[in-house]
Amino acid sequence: MSGDGRPSRKGRASRQRLLRRFRVFRLVRSSKGPEPDGPGENEAVRRRLGVGFWLAVVWLVVMAFIALFAPMLPFADPTKVGYSGPREPPSAGAWFGTDALGRDVFSRTMHGARISLAVGGFAIVFGMVVGGALGILAGYFRGRLDQAVGFTFFVLLSFPALVLAILITATLERSLLVVSLTIGILAVAPVGLLARASTLVYAEREFVAAARVLGARNGRIIVRELLPNVVIPMGALTLLGMAVAVVAEGSLAFLGLSVAGDEAISWGKMIVDGAGLRDLQNATHVAMFPVAVMFVTVLALNFAGDRIRQYFDVKELAF
Amino acid sequence: MAPDQTTAAPVPLLSVRDLHVRFPTERGTVNAVNGVSFDLYEGKTLAIVGESGSGKSVTAKTLMNLLPRSALVSGDVTYAGQDVRALAAAGTKHFFGVQMTMVFQDPMTSLNPVKRVGEQIAETLRYHLGRSRSAALEEAEDLLDAVGMPEPARRVMQYPHELSGGLRQRVVIAMALACQPRLLIADEPTTAVDVTVQKHLLDLLDELRRDRGMAMILITHDLGVAHGRADDVAVMYAGRIVETADARTLFVDMRHPYTEALLRSIPRIDDPVHHRLDPIPGRPPELISPPDACAFAPRCLYAQADCLDGVPELSGLVGLHRFACLHPTGTERGVAAATANRAAGVTVAGLPLTGDPGGAG
Amino acid sequence: MARFFIRRLVLLVAVLFAVTFLGFSAMNFLGDPLFNVVGLMAELDCEAIEAGSAEDPSLDRARSDCETVAEARATYHLDRPVPVRYLLWVGDMFTGDFGTSFQNDQPVAEIIREKLPETLILLIMAQIVSLGVAIPWGVVAAYRANRAFDRGSTVASFGLLSIPNFALGVVLLYLLSLRWQIFPSAYESDSVVGLVFSMVLPAATLGLPLAASYQRLLRTDLITTLQEDFVHMARAKGLPPMRIMFRHALRPSLFSVVTVFGVSTGAMIGGSLVVEQIFGIPGIGREIVTAVVRDDFPVVLAIVMLVACTFVIINFVVDLFYSWLDPRVRAR
Ligand SMILES: Nc1ncnc2c1ncn2[C@@H]1O[C@H](COP(=O)(O)OP(=O)(O)O)[C@@H](O)[C@H]1O
Ligand code: SF4
Ligand SMILES: [Mg+2]
Repeated sequence: MSGDGRPSRKGRASRQRLLRRFRVFRLVRSSKGPEPDGPGENEAVRRRLGVGFWLAVVWLVVMAFIALFAPMLPFADPTKVGYSGPREPPSAGAWFGTDALGRDVFSRTMHGARISLAVGGFAIVFGMVVGGALGILAGYFRGRLDQAVGFTFFVLLSFPALVLAILITATLERSLLVVSLTIGILAVAPVGLLARASTLVYAEREFVAAARVLGARNGRIIVRELLPNVVIPMGALTLLGMAVAVVAEGSLAFLGLSVAGDEAISWGKMIVDGAGLRDLQNATHVAMFPVAVMFVTVLALNFAGDRIRQYFDVKELAF
Repeated sequence: MAPDQTTAAPVPLLSVRDLHVRFPTERGTVNAVNGVSFDLYEGKTLAIVGESGSGKSVTAKTLMNLLPRSALVSGDVTYAGQDVRALAAAGTKHFFGVQMTMVFQDPMTSLNPVKRVGEQIAETLRYHLGRSRSAALEEAEDLLDAVGMPEPARRVMQYPHELSGGLRQRVVIAMALACQPRLLIADEPTTAVDVTVQKHLLDLLDELRRDRGMAMILITHDLGVAHGRADDVAVMYAGRIVETADARTLFVDMRHPYTEALLRSIPRIDDPVHHRLDPIPGRPPELISPPDACAFAPRCLYAQADCLDGVPELSGLVGLHRFACLHPTGTERGVAAATANRAAGVTVAGLPLTGDPGGAG
Repeated sequence: MARFFIRRLVLLVAVLFAVTFLGFSAMNFLGDPLFNVVGLMAELDCEAIEAGSAEDPSLDRARSDCETVAEARATYHLDRPVPVRYLLWVGDMFTGDFGTSFQNDQPVAEIIREKLPETLILLIMAQIVSLGVAIPWGVVAAYRANRAFDRGSTVASFGLLSIPNFALGVVLLYLLSLRWQIFPSAYESDSVVGLVFSMVLPAATLGLPLAASYQRLLRTDLITTLQEDFVHMARAKGLPPMRIMFRHALRPSLFSVVTVFGVSTGAMIGGSLVVEQIFGIPGIGREIVTAVVRDDFPVVLAIVMLVACTFVIINFVVDLFYSWLDPRVRAR
């Protein structure tokens, strides 16, 4: 797998192939390929974030605000059964209508943002801390450590993501922490590979060599010289990673394997609640409102994430 | 172009008139080709010579309709009386590849890496001439044999990466010759191959051309390559032809200071091994909004004040010795200009003259 | 080539062992392995029951349960350390003994044999949908790069990639099946035609987002390839544009797609859990979800192993496929 000591040509090729594989986790590839008739992504264009980006950011900020303060905001009680009649269409009282148990779909959708964003945020932070640390250490020290870490990543990536998640959630109590950790573990390998790859790039630059010549200790070099440079590409991909994590949580919830309990409202759970044929036929709004909100949120994460990725010109190392 | 004067004036095989090519880019419009005209007669070789970036490849690609869609082209290209650009626009079948074709600079990249060599040659035969697969492969083998490929029967089954650069270029040549084209454009065909086989390949190309009575445009940055192989030579600078004549005249009696400088930069067999060539000092000009002056002026040993007042026109008629210079080398005006500059120690364009300005005086 | 193959093979075996060991230890370290094997019976205090009056008929049931527990301890070697248990379990797997569901005492091998065909049909149809859509789509987008169609498809693929599988499934089910009634809403197995037809929506749910990502990859690579000299050469040879596109440019542009093919199969397997749920397809995906909900650990473990190993092997095959795509890989 990953080479021994220095990167052989072959090692590099297979590593690149490995890296390319993980682009799929990024969901979206660069929306702009090289221009067919001339130079590629142009600096000025790249450095402009655009209206779409700010729209996406506004949506995300609003959702984050709602997620943080939902219990304090004037929403109906999301768990109250029979708030009004069951399966009522949207009205002035219940904007998104009510579900099969007569619960307010609007309020539930807003509360659903809590788990989705909490899990998404925690997972990506976990992935960045653990994966980032492992990746940097592997990339800096190379040798056996690198091989071991590389192999671990490879094994982690050998599970289809959702299957690995199921394996973990199947055996443990499905608390918020367990679900977040599960999805965080999914993020470790892709983020780790990214960190390792950018460490390899920077570890060979002059400033690192200079620090070494000046007698700086490894720890200092890693924290002072490498970390800041590796954090940029990692940070540029945070939102894209979050998008993946939110979808993963949704999938688990859809299968009834996310955070357990009636109190734990999640978009995935709401969608599966409304996805029965009769509900879908007669009370389409029960499933479609959470579908729409989730879609817009994931789209916003992807879109803003992709703009940021372009802004920082993170290309080949994308996961 | 020294056509046979005893018969009625023959029609040129290829005739180019006032060709302009511009590329709109984010930094501005690149004026890559600015009014190129020439004629090429059946069975003759025209060498187009110039430094890198002078617009040789763009000219060739225009003839072959290979420019990116964004390119702005004007001017006339006529092949045996037909308008080539109209033929291309109409998507005429069996014209390119059969009538005229091209060989590219780098044999490493001009072969498809994932297809066997034989298939790549046979493909043309099958498409244009309707050969069966097996017949086409047999013919491919003969073609490889004709271009001097050792063990052609084995080579047809190989992939490009299994061949050396020189052998690959032979494959490319075989591929180009497959349908017996009447005109071959060879764009620096030996620049990317090993020096030891360059001469051999050029001679091969020349021999094949002679045998088949094919016309050829030989593009090169090395005036020496044109020597002995070309009937006519056109020297390009900054997208223009600055001097053109039949080969004998050009080598013996050149007029343009750029031609002279190019000639001085040819390596000679009898040079001592570590003899320093005279590279032309300075760099070719920007092609985005070029100044209204002789483009060579900043590098020219003869440059005078009038060289900066507009672009010199190409003298004379198509087919004769033509040059675009106000103080041509080997003329009185040229001698005077060189002498004046040497006395001043610097040209009008600010080029300092150190030592001997060359054989002009 | 031989060395390349052997190196890949060694890696394959190592990864298979690591993957199965990881899965096995997850089952054994997280939570109580005895519980995982016998469920609630693990809570029984067998020593107390043994010590209780032999006459007491109310303990008969408990005693037989205790026997079951003891039996389970023996079959699953629960008193041995995990690595040993793992090796024994791998041995069992090799002899075709995948364990027994403790929900209905059915051998897991039998369950898998029963459910696998449905999932395979679904996955294969999904890949057909995704490649069938993505290749023409990518070719046209690259051929007319940055024109209206290309820009439009950028937006469309962005959208498709942002819809979670389950949401897309629900939307497709609602629109195409309930509302416009083009496709059946549920699984049918009466006839092959009916089966395939009822799988169209599930396959599209899995395949369309993938088609979007394949399309992006293919388009970018094609644009690069179309600028290569050998494409110019092919044009100078006078070949028509579409022939150049399919005979010369497409194959060298498939690298990214092939690379992602392996990973995407993983994503698809994950997606099939959800999609089988939505469309009521009795396949492996639904089986594993049911098993997880019922804490039927032998089934969960066996299926996870099966899926992970398949995934690893697919990626191994994909790696070999490179050498067909690019003969230069063989030389390396
Ligand atoms: N597609 C293009 N877009 C913009 N500029 C181009 C393009 N192709 C060529 N040029 C420019 O045209 C000029 C002439 O190039 P070329 O004909 O390739 O030179 P050469 O004489 O070395 O073959 C160069 O300055 C080059 O940068
Ligand atoms: S003498 Fe004047 S016109 Fe002639 S090449 Fe030099 S600068 Fe140009
Ligand atoms: Mg050139």
